[in-house]
Amino acid sequence: MAAAAPPPPPTPTPIPPTTLPETGPVGNPIFARIRIANPSDVRPLHKLMYQLAVFERLPHLFSATESSLSSNLFNTPPFQSFTVFLLEVSPTPFLDAPVGAHPPITHVVNLDLPIADPESQEFGSGGDAVVAGFVLFFPNYSTFLGKPGFYIEDLYVRDCYRRKGFGKMLLSAVAAQAVKMGYGRVEWCVLDWNVNAIKFYEEMGAQVLQEWRICRLTGDALQAYGN
Amino acid sequence: MAVTGPPSPQTPTPTPTITPQETAPIGNPIFARIRIANSSDVPHLHKLMYQHAASQRLTHIFSATESSLSATLFNSPPFQSFTVFLLEVSPTPFPDGPVGCHPPITRIVNLDLLIVDPESKEFGSGGEAVVVGFVLFFPNYGLFSGMPGFYIEGLYVRECYRKKGFGKMLLSAVAAQAMKMGYGKLDWCVLGWNANAFGFYKKMGAQVFEELKMCRLTSDALQAYESFS
Repeated sequence: MAAAAPPPPPTPTPIPPTTLPETGPVGNPIFARIRIANPSDVRPLHKLMYQLAVFERLPHLFSATESSLSSNLFNTPPFQSFTVFLLEVSPTPFLDAPVGAHPPITHVVNLDLPIADPESQEFGSGGDAVVAGFVLFFPNYSTFLGKPGFYIEDLYVRDCYRRKGFGKMLLSAVAAQAVKMGYGRVEWCVLDWNVNAIKFYEEMGAQVLQEWRICRLTGDALQAYGN
Repeated sequence: MAVTGPPSPQTPTPTPTITPQETAPIGNPIFARIRIANSSDVPHLHKLMYQHAASQRLTHIFSATESSLSATLFNSPPFQSFTVFLLEVSPTPFPDGPVGCHPPITRIVNLDLLIVDPESKEFGSGGEAVVVGFVLFFPNYGLFSGMPGFYIEGLYVRECYRKKGFGKMLLSAVAAQAMKMGYGKLDWCVLGWNANAFGFYKKMGAQVFEELKMCRLTSDALQAYESFS
């Protein structure tokens, strides 16, 4: 998984010096909603995935299209195969959505300063809301536990929304879903030089498994084996 | 995936010296069959998975039960979720089964010597056949291609059947299925100390991502997120 530079915990709102009583709220609240992506989210999702590829300095390897996403990502009920949680934020509260099988997760984050988002139009998702990030995950299996878990393939938060706790929120949402389903593990990858990310993941309670290496067979080598 | 003692290429049958005409076949043929596991294979599968954990010195974290395997492994059509290929061998040919959507793969392997299998009764799977190994895999996703691949979680061949090409046969079966479905990649994990496995994978043309490390949230640390919603 390539996470964007993981957000450290949000800086606490500084306590104002003793003055005449204030009437306005401290900080700038921003409303966050994490919900399951659907086919109508393909356009912003594709853009986010491309931004992630750019962040990883590998845009030349990015060949996914809106069409390939539509074909592969929405064929099964949530959590049984590839699933995307989309993160949206808004300066105003999200309206209550009909309570379905998987109600969205909502949080309020208090910011010191409002966020200037140069891509707010491009990522607009209705009203004042914008799409700010995503996490793509799918069930994996552990032969040792004899039960499924989740593997997080990608987690990404747009640049201007980083360092505010949103990455942690997305990861926590996946972890909570795993617990809800009685799954044994949530796993993902990290680049060993990404010390910030490693620190963030360890603070979240994850172990970094030093002993395992990931292998891949692709291209001609895969073809040779498949024939 | 942790492969125990990676499959080395099959030792070639030596060329016989010229003698009066021989009537018996050279070597000892053994018939191999790879098929999709079903719920009746759970007892054998559970034993194999335990042996697999033991081979990686990880029995202390092995808690799978026959019941948990039955409950979690057979809920979806093959290849759409967790799928197990089971490898069976027999000294006599496997009978032709009904041709379904996913016919088994059969091969004949010529061995120099007969295999002595101390667990043949325990792993008997009908007639003279025994269960010898398995591979468990499931679809994964690729950010860059926007296409699925397969991830191999476990591949294991019982000790007395190693170094005969059976591990390679199981891996090839998954690769073939990936190609058939237009999937572009096979991923798996290997333990860093398993030098044999490393060498084998590099030789077969696999990339090993030295820089990538796996992160895992499990047990109490995972349970702590129960209330996040």
